[in-house]
Amino acid sequence: MSEIVLETEALTKYYGSTLAVDHFDLKIPRGCICGFVGRNGAGKTTAIKLMLGLLNPTAGSSRLLGCDSSALTPAIRQRIGYVTEGHRLFRWMTIGGLEKFQRSFFPKQWDDKFFADMIEYFDLPKKKKIKHLSNGQRAQVSLALALAPNPELLIMDDPTLGLDAAIRRQFLEGMIELIMRQGRTVLFSSHILGDVERVSDRIVVIDRGVLRANCSLEQFQKAIKKVILSFADSVPDEVNIDGLLHCKRIEKQLELTLVGTDDEKISEWAKSAGAENYHIVKMNLEDQFIEFTAPANHRRLFQWEESQK
Amino acid sequence: MRFSTLLRKELRECLPWMLLAALVFLAFGGFFLRALAYDQRHYRYYPNFSAGTLVEPGQLTQHTPLLLTGSCLFCSSLGLGLILGVRHFWIPHFTRTWPFLLHRSAGRKTILAGKLTAASIALALSLGPVWIALYRYACQPEVFTVPQNFRVFIEGWIFIMLGFVAYLGTTLSGLSTAKWYSTKIFGLALAAIVIIAAILQWRLVSAFVTIVIGALLLLSQIVDTFLNREF
Repeated sequence: MSEIVLETEALTKYYGSTLAVDHFDLKIPRGCICGFVGRNGAGKTTAIKLMLGLLNPTAGSSRLLGCDSSALTPAIRQRIGYVTEGHRLFRWMTIGGLEKFQRSFFPKQWDDKFFADMIEYFDLPKKKKIKHLSNGQRAQVSLALALAPNPELLIMDDPTLGLDAAIRRQFLEGMIELIMRQGRTVLFSSHILGDVERVSDRIVVIDRGVLRANCSLEQFQKAIKKVILSFADSVPDEVNIDGLLHCKRIEKQLELTLVGTDDEKISEWAKSAGAENYHIVKMNLEDQFIEFTAPANHRRLFQWEESQK
Repeated sequence: MRFSTLLRKELRECLPWMLLAALVFLAFGGFFLRALAYDQRHYRYYPNFSAGTLVEPGQLTQHTPLLLTGSCLFCSSLGLGLILGVRHFWIPHFTRTWPFLLHRSAGRKTILAGKLTAASIALALSLGPVWIALYRYACQPEVFTVPQNFRVFIEGWIFIMLGFVAYLGTTLSGLSTAKWYSTKIFGLALAAIVIIAAILQWRLVSAFVTIVIGALLLLSQIVDTFLNREF
């Protein structure tokens, strides 16, 4: 089994009486690109801040690169890149000034050429102050600053939020630069499933603070499917098939969204329910995510670990 | 190297306020000093001690032309202390730059030390030279016939230290996660108590000791809060 670089154990966080992260158990192996998805307020930022030791857990623990998050040493932090939500940088600094500031914290790792190339690629003026940059340009500076020290683990909190399609594409291409370097691990949270589909090989789904899925993207896409069953007379009143997420009746048709139900079981159930015929419809990741995290499906746990392959 | 980088960054953030405080103090302190010098030259408004007169030390302090200038220094110092505290510990909360600052290869202690050192340097560098210049101006016999009391000069540095106490109070309040009407004002309240206690002292040593004790109390709270606080 490959080395685990990020691990949480029953990580729990309450804000007053509000439960933000609930017994979050996550393991991310080295070298994977992990898309961390969840609806607004699902607990993504809180989970990331807990992992980075910026928040204290109410219960549980987390470890980054083998070190407890609550006691991350400067040496360990040096190996972890972090792109903050909203790309909050020092507004009064110029890009050049920020580069100089950041470089002094990574005296041995900082790759001047890489940073210069990124700035050139994004066409950013080095003398311009951060406060005069657009949201997209700040995102690009933020990414260049996080990548230049060549981190082993890169954690990004909704890095493409508020960026237009062109800037997002450039940003993702910048991210792919890091992915190309061997053994680098990336965890990035996002609302944009297209981005996750494009660059990730693993998906982690959080819903209302609960970990709902942690598996390869391929497994996730295979696991969630839509089945449309046609009936000669009337559709059955009761649908009791394993892994049912959603059920919709349209005249003499039954539309089921299922998770983790294999094709054989679907076939058996279709026969027993008296369906004339059925067909499985391919869903895109966004539809799968929406169905999977629909409020009615809260706590219908689905967690595929590598061992369950 | 990391500390010096942090120190430079914090000092740069203080710079506009340092300049503003120095200018305000120079303008008001200088104005009062010039006005008093003018009054004395033309109207003999202040007592003119002639040679051989027995003068009480208290009388000298009471009539010193630096009294109003000292008040300006006191206000400038407290104002600068409050502004720097807000700049260092309140603004990053609103601009959400804490995570960017804290996640780096420098411990929280180093980051805090950078901020505190920058604030003390900013207070001393912005107000100290102006105070020295005004004192030297007031010491010129052709400007004031009343001899200047060196105690007043030291008092000026005590006022600058009180500015640092105000900074610490603002810092502690800024770091508190309590509601503003609750214990959040504890830092500012403690700083106010220390400042009042210090200016009530007649002996400079007592004032100094009061400031040191108060600053240590505030510092211990600040360090503990900053190291354990969630950002």
